[in-house]
Amino acid sequence: MSETAFPINDLLRRKLQTTLTITSLTLCVASTLFLLLFSQRIGFGIMSTVEDKLTYGFSIVYRQFTMFVTALIFVVGAIIISFIVFAMMSQRTRDIGLIKAAGCPNDLIFGYFMTELLVITFTGCLLGVILGLIADFVFSNLLNSFQISRGLPDFWLTLLVFASFFVLSIIFGAKPILDTAKIEPAKAMSSIYYFRTEKSIGFKVMSKSALTLKIALRSLFRRKSATIQIVLCLITVFILVTVAVGGSIIADQTTENWAENAVGRDLVLIGHRTMCDHYDLLLSKFHGAKENSKFDYSDERFLIPEDILHQLRSIPGITHLDPRLVLEAHVEEIRNYTFDPETGATIPIGDNRKGESLIVGIEPNQVLAKWFLQGQLLNEEQAWDAVIGDSLGQEMFSAPLSQGIRLQGKDFNIKGVCLDPINNGNVTYVPLQTLQNITGVSKPNIVIVKIDPSANRTETISQIREKIESVNSNFAVLDLNEVLDKNLNFLSYLWSTIMFLPFFSLLSASLCLIGYVVLTITEQRQELGILRAVGAKPKTIVHIVSTQTFVVLLSSYAAGTALGIMVTLMILVPNPLVTGYAIIEIVGWLLAALTATFILSLYPAIKFAKKPILQIITQVN
Amino acid sequence: MKKARLAVYASSLRKVYQTSDFKVEVLKDVKLKVNRGEFVTVSGPSGSGKTTLLNIVGSIDRPTSGKIVVFGHDLCVQDEDFLADFRCRNVGFVFQSYNLVSTLTVAENTAFPMEWIKKPENQIEARVTELLELVDLQHRAEHFPSQLSGGEQQRVAFARALANDPPLLLVDEPTGNLDANNSQKITQILQKLKEDEKTIIVSTHDKQIVQLAHQKLCLEDGRLVALNE
Repeated sequence: MSETAFPINDLLRRKLQTTLTITSLTLCVASTLFLLLFSQRIGFGIMSTVEDKLTYGFSIVYRQFTMFVTALIFVVGAIIISFIVFAMMSQRTRDIGLIKAAGCPNDLIFGYFMTELLVITFTGCLLGVILGLIADFVFSNLLNSFQISRGLPDFWLTLLVFASFFVLSIIFGAKPILDTAKIEPAKAMSSIYYFRTEKSIGFKVMSKSALTLKIALRSLFRRKSATIQIVLCLITVFILVTVAVGGSIIADQTTENWAENAVGRDLVLIGHRTMCDHYDLLLSKFHGAKENSKFDYSDERFLIPEDILHQLRSIPGITHLDPRLVLEAHVEEIRNYTFDPETGATIPIGDNRKGESLIVGIEPNQVLAKWFLQGQLLNEEQAWDAVIGDSLGQEMFSAPLSQGIRLQGKDFNIKGVCLDPINNGNVTYVPLQTLQNITGVSKPNIVIVKIDPSANRTETISQIREKIESVNSNFAVLDLNEVLDKNLNFLSYLWSTIMFLPFFSLLSASLCLIGYVVLTITEQRQELGILRAVGAKPKTIVHIVSTQTFVVLLSSYAAGTALGIMVTLMILVPNPLVTGYAIIEIVGWLLAALTATFILSLYPAIKFAKKPILQIITQVN
Repeated sequence: MKKARLAVYASSLRKVYQTSDFKVEVLKDVKLKVNRGEFVTVSGPSGSGKTTLLNIVGSIDRPTSGKIVVFGHDLCVQDEDFLADFRCRNVGFVFQSYNLVSTLTVAENTAFPMEWIKKPENQIEARVTELLELVDLQHRAEHFPSQLSGGEQQRVAFARALANDPPLLLVDEPTGNLDANNSQKITQILQKLKEDEKTIIVSTHDKQIVQLAHQKLCLEDGRLVALNE
């Protein structure tokens, strides 16, 4: 038989195994390609959405998250594909041994099985690419109400996935062929070589209660190498799922918490009506609002009269006043130098860059915002310190905490970089008194007021409105909760788009796991058939297979989720906020993933158990 | 209550294997009556349907048409759960290709049919020891099937078939792949089982085994006929 005719005939006659392997490969390549293309669409979609919106610190979380998940999707796909091909070719060990025993030379055997491997992997990868492109097209059109970039899929990414998975499949598939070709035919034909069942653990009668569990475990532990591979493979899948699900929930809550703490909850702003509208606009830039004309912050009409402050202090429902002077000014980066202890050289930091920034004078002891901050907060004693917003820090400074900022010809030391949605992070906070001294503006132009959470909020706001209007009818109250909620909704909206990634990752992982169960059952087909022949009921077979699957799933789940949570908390989200609710939500999602995967994996087991015994024992194709 | 004398009854048994390309009628109008404690041999050329007949009697295959009754149970009308339990308690099957579970040791292969029916642990242990003594494999208890010779695997298959002390033993070509010494051992085991008044149906060409039979049958062109002495 020719070198091509044998493998083709062999594959066609082993219809079940061939179809299973090609299907598993196709599903894995398709889901990986789809996830990569889809995450790229989400990435582009979000980048175009957040352009000129979101502060630098916020958008970096999205970028890091999407990039990490994308990389993980690729790794998971590669591992699963390698496993599928390795498992398929390992099952041919006995056949290779038989052909060797019949006198077939090694190079011919290698040719036969490499041809089979090439046909299977090429078909699987090609079908996978086609299916992945179809899925990408369908879902990117179905989800057109979300921020997902549309257009043609990335040709080079598609080619990269096809080429790298094809090459990986060949490498991993060729290994068992090469290994078997090196050993004696007798060894290759023996199950000792394939299952590594060289050691007995001693005979012990199994108890009535745990019969199926023990049979399942015995089978798992005696197939150590295969089981370890499967567990490793599933661990990476669960890391992906945990990072995707847990990471997005934690990152969502953390970023919302940053925004909420920076703006403040249960706060109202008191200021001139025009100033209130403009402050609303400054906060709304975070979710896309645009400033149309130059605003004159120094208008004296905006200054808060002392009477208003006096009236506010007399309202019982108010717990705190945070007066601020908001201006816009030209700022300059102050170049600094650092000393390299190794070379003794002086290294310059910064480039004297210039730009416009929102300047906010605050009373350090009265400030209500609790920023997510790198560095230190302002304090009363340091009049020439400043805290800058993250976008300003990123755009104008090389190492902001080692540098200074020049404002109105005066130099300030940068003590901290904060995440603040106002003016999209292009903001400089300085002590109020210092700002007043250098600008000559004697009064604040806004006051942020904290309402006692136990007080009747509506009533207190009415009282505030009444009192300030009695002083000056041009002054108004802006409820910051409304602006804050708009910002938080925008963050939720972005994360809801990203949540498609974990959802599809989960779907893809489930499909791969079903493929694994089918392969496992096929591998144990004859043994399960024998058990049926000597009296095991179909449901017992389902119990055994499902127990094996459950043990493998559970151990992979435990390790995968633990590692996934660690990666999320330690690498992806700086200073993560993990609330009780977030934990319940993550646990809920992951348990749902485990349960859904387990239930889906029962289908091939049930289908298998219903087959006639002889068909199970004697099935060749 | 006195047990019915008839162990196996088959009438108009027909089995057809059909693929898209061809159709093979392996059994044609087979009639069979085996009494309790009877030793029956079935011979016939390769491919004549001996294994198919044993599979149908052992309830691991169903006939295309006809009737098969074993110990009073019409096997054609029972569901899979009933048949599984029936096989476990009533039928010991020794397959031609041994069909041992490769990941279980000799002792475990012998024990697991007893574990299905939840026998007490001490009884299982005692029975495994007894059966391995019967087949002379006590020293191989902790070995895996792949570490045994063909003759030894065949004897493990006997031990497993006898685990639940089934009243019916179906043995498919027990000495077909064995040397004279191992064939002799198998024949001795069958002789012992005959003395224990087990109902035994053996598919074989081995003259020594055929000589043990009360009823000697032959499958010719899908039909079962009595073998001339």
